[in-house]
Amino acid sequence: MKKAKIVKKKFLGTSFVELWLEENDIARLACPGQFVMISAGSTYDPFLKRPLGILSCQENYFGLLFDIVGRGTKILSQLEIGDQVDLLGPLGNGFSLNPKEALLIGGGRGLVPLYFLAQIFTSKKIPFQFFFGIRNQEEKVLIDYLSELSIPMVLSCQEQLSNYYCGTVLDAFEDWLHHHSQSKPAQKIYACGPQGMFQALSKMEDIIPNQIEVSLESRMGCGYGVCLSCAVKKKGLPGYFHVCKDGPVFRLGEIEL
Amino acid sequence: MNLQVHLGNLTLSNPVILASGTAGYGREIAPYLDLDRIGALTLKGISSTPWVGNPPPRIHETYAGIMNSIGLENKGFDRFLREDLPFLENFQTRIIANIWGKTIEEYSDIAKKMNGLERIDAIEVNVSCPNIEQGGESFSCNSQILCQLIQNLRQKIQKPLIFKLGPNTDDLDNVLLFMEKEGVDILSITNTYPALAVDVENQSFIFSRKTAGLSGPAIKPLALKLVYDVIQKTRLPIIGMGGIMKAEDALEYLLIGAQAVALGSVNLVDPSAAVQIIDGIEAYLIQKNIFGINDLIGKVREVWR
Repeated sequence: MKKAKIVKKKFLGTSFVELWLEENDIARLACPGQFVMISAGSTYDPFLKRPLGILSCQENYFGLLFDIVGRGTKILSQLEIGDQVDLLGPLGNGFSLNPKEALLIGGGRGLVPLYFLAQIFTSKKIPFQFFFGIRNQEEKVLIDYLSELSIPMVLSCQEQLSNYYCGTVLDAFEDWLHHHSQSKPAQKIYACGPQGMFQALSKMEDIIPNQIEVSLESRMGCGYGVCLSCAVKKKGLPGYFHVCKDGPVFRLGEIEL
Repeated sequence: MNLQVHLGNLTLSNPVILASGTAGYGREIAPYLDLDRIGALTLKGISSTPWVGNPPPRIHETYAGIMNSIGLENKGFDRFLREDLPFLENFQTRIIANIWGKTIEEYSDIAKKMNGLERIDAIEVNVSCPNIEQGGESFSCNSQILCQLIQNLRQKIQKPLIFKLGPNTDDLDNVLLFMEKEGVDILSITNTYPALAVDVENQSFIFSRKTAGLSGPAIKPLALKLVYDVIQKTRLPIIGMGGIMKAEDALEYLLIGAQAVALGSVNLVDPSAAVQIIDGIEAYLIQKNIFGINDLIGKVREVWR
């Protein structure tokens, strides 16, 4: 088990928290799409570590970004600079990193692995377009991450906001596809967001699910493949994948959502 | 310091075992833990043929514990042979195969297969998984069927034979007598406790099978009591387990007379915990001027007899 010290902490709005931690191995080895299992507190309650996607890495540091959704993330949001946490990682299989061209589609906290991916694509000079959707004004704080990358992007919000496509990110994506259908085949799609987004994506016309890499979220027990809790059904085959070990990145066509 | 323990004809270098289903087939936990430091590794439960297990959700956190409903998902014997057994050949540590089936014939089939593998040091029979329709706990809630299974397996298995019993074994006293008579070698006590959780928001059960198995610190005092009770009823050596998180917890089980302990849920949250627990037991013996682990086992029981 590794120990990492919190070196930076930032609240974004009322529910999002960004933490930066010092841990050499994770910072050096982590790839976009991978995650860590992090202790929420030092007692046995809550009992399990929490799986959190890695936002970015710099020198000896790595970043996490999460929203407060329950007991574990609440405790994590109360960590202060200088506090030490136990963790495992980097865990799981990340995104493929060598497409010719890419489309990134994210919703809400699905930003996390895609932001890391966008950084890598930028440094590797891989051309890509980022589609990002938020549900409401509250989540606007996430957009700052993308603005700082200065990349081509399409933003959507399910509430009326100026300069945002009004609707889901997939509405925005579909609209874009209609106008750019000629450029489609060369582009690999990377997506992360709520389950409903993946379901809708797999039903879209002109989309080949096996060309889409998605990063899944799941409740986990261990994060390293022993408890088999994070089961996701295989498509067209009996049995389950395990998100922690076989994923969290899957081809959309190989899983049943 | 001598930490060696003898459970019938199974000798372990120390009393700390990894419980089935919390350490995979060794390969998964090996990056975090030197397998040669532990007393034994119990493999994830294996059946003759692969089994897909239960639909998600499979896990639910409770206060200081977890409920699981994995449903004995496993890759089956053939894939174990191909994918995992060669890795285990690299270690000296004792390997216990945990087996299950839906019928006596299925139990018998996988038991014979495991019995034929040199690398397997003992066979643990799971008759107490609460998360499956046939097999598992269904065998320990009917003492007649359980006794048939015991007899059947003992005739076929030369390796040390362990039965893993849960908290709800039917006619426990007579089953224990029967096990002694038939020559069962060791007992593993206990498995997860059958438990229930309700999703209040959606007004439904959390798990599709409604009940699931509770483990972790939440069950430790209950499991300790069960181990204590069973020790009073039998002379068979016992592997005690349930909610062990640190050396002190393991020592409680040893002090009441368990010859070994198994770590379960703790492996999920800290895969290297076993080494700290072994070191902690050793440090305790030194601090208390106890020469060897066998002078500690059952000490509380003797003093308070």
